[in-house]
Amino acid sequence: MKKRINWLLIGVFLVASLLVAYGSNAQEAKMTVLNPLGSTPLIRCVPMAPRLDTLSGKTIYIVNVKFPLTDPFLVEMQKAFAEKYPQAHWVLRDKKGTYFDDDRALWAEIKEKGHGVIMAIGH
Amino acid sequence: MGIPAAPVITSVFQDLVKTNAYKKGMPLQRFTFVPHPVAGKPASVCREYLEGKDPLTGKPVMQEIVEALTKPLTEEEKKTGFIERPTPPRLVGPDTPENLHQIFLKNGWTDGLPIVLPTEGKVAEMLRGTSHRPDEVVGTMRPSGPHEAWEYTVEKVAINAVMAGAEPKYFPVILAIASTGITSLFTSTTSFGRMVVVNGPVRDQIGMNSGIGALGPFNHANATIGRAWTLISRNLGGGGTPGQTYLGSLGNNLNYNNLCFPEKEEELPEGWKPLHVQKGFKAGESVVSLFSGWSIINNGGFKPYPYHEVMKYQSLGFFTSGTGNCFKSGVPDSAAFTVLLDPLVAKDLKEAKGFSTKEELSQWLMKNTFKTAWAYWACRPDDLKKAKEGVEPYASWLKLPEGALVPEPVFFDPKKPIEIIIVGGRTNPFWQAGDFNYIASGSVDKWK
Repeated sequence: MKKRINWLLIGVFLVASLLVAYGSNAQEAKMTVLNPLGSTPLIRCVPMAPRLDTLSGKTIYIVNVKFPLTDPFLVEMQKAFAEKYPQAHWVLRDKKGTYFDDDRALWAEIKEKGHGVIMAIGH
Repeated sequence: MGIPAAPVITSVFQDLVKTNAYKKGMPLQRFTFVPHPVAGKPASVCREYLEGKDPLTGKPVMQEIVEALTKPLTEEEKKTGFIERPTPPRLVGPDTPENLHQIFLKNGWTDGLPIVLPTEGKVAEMLRGTSHRPDEVVGTMRPSGPHEAWEYTVEKVAINAVMAGAEPKYFPVILAIASTGITSLFTSTTSFGRMVVVNGPVRDQIGMNSGIGALGPFNHANATIGRAWTLISRNLGGGGTPGQTYLGSLGNNLNYNNLCFPEKEEELPEGWKPLHVQKGFKAGESVVSLFSGWSIINNGGFKPYPYHEVMKYQSLGFFTSGTGNCFKSGVPDSAAFTVLLDPLVAKDLKEAKGFSTKEELSQWLMKNTFKTAWAYWACRPDDLKKAKEGVEPYASWLKLPEGALVPEPVFFDPKKPIEIIIVGGRTNPFWQAGDFNYIASGSVDKWK
């Protein structure tokens, strides 16, 4: 009888030891992996252009970038600014092509004749 | 231009413009936001928006625009030099696998599905799939033209290939896709999908499936190569962050594995060339070809009508598909069409209908597909104007009833020929067609 109890105690001890060892391994099973991200380019700061000291006598272009069906919004923008700020000249211009296209001639005109520009993005 | 600019943005694009301004070196750009959308709103609503408040800042819109033009610059806004960007560490962890999976998921480095963690051992194993050095630059990729391009090496592609669950023997195919620099997650409000077609001996060498269920989730190589492209596009191409670098309004389920499949070259009818040969490669070369589009539809040839005639009507669905450019004011209409034919369909088209090459079928479809008068005038406002001014042939076409066909091909762009690809298991004469157009091919052999 005493022998059987001894064997039982040994068995319990072994099972308990295994459980403790398994638990501590599970806790320690840490790993490192490789970062999947690519390299981002350097960002060069572009200083913003000097602001206007006043709107009086200035020509401000409003550019319709040609997002579909936004013409009424831009027409209304031109009207609203002309009513509220009549001291400035508000010029509404359509960019050529679609919103995908560049319009270097318009940018050159604005640079030459404009003092500021409002660009509307989105639809 | 050297003069002050005041960008006015509809509010849904706030994340996009702020992150882009940062990346372009103007992190303090003075934005004014208005409610979205403004498109199609009557003048009274537009005026309300303009005289109302910016939904983000709460400031009056017009005042905010004027301040953007006139308020003196701060020292920060005048700053020159470079912006320091944190360099991602080479290693992530140490941590438990469970936590690492969570880190990858929370950082947006996955496609939302479980990944294989890219341990150094697994990545080293993947790198054995190519003779190229781990530090060799493969290319650059960006979510779309205006976005910044990220650069990546062979090792970085290997990391993403491991994450996708790919085997080392697939790695040259994945490198070939990466080398094109084309993202699978092109950012556009229109929710693009992509397609990868593999040609050449590599198809069999890596066990791809071009037979039964080729476009379904039944083959490890098809599944993981396509998935790798999406992970590469997120992690190496700087894309896939909704609102910032991905704007697809509905999104596209095809982005999970980009319809990756090999062409069933063995079942091409005599005289029909494999896709890569059509694109200028030799038959013995292994090549990936990439397509861009949005959607796929299906058809079966059970009734005794010629398949090509049915395809013609099927293709008509695609001039209203995709970007919707056909009905978008001020945007030129343009449509694309790619047909995936089961070998049984290809055999019939060759033997019973006499199309001796893919090109013959493509050209027949391009020359014989027309839209109705109503659709034509809706798509071509400039032509409608000419018609009303009496310019021929538009003036005569204007006399046609709305449902009559205008003899001007729907698929007219020579840069976008109708593409024909053979795939499938001959269980029935089915074909699938989509608004996809070919964009590029890359050599797989170069990356072995």
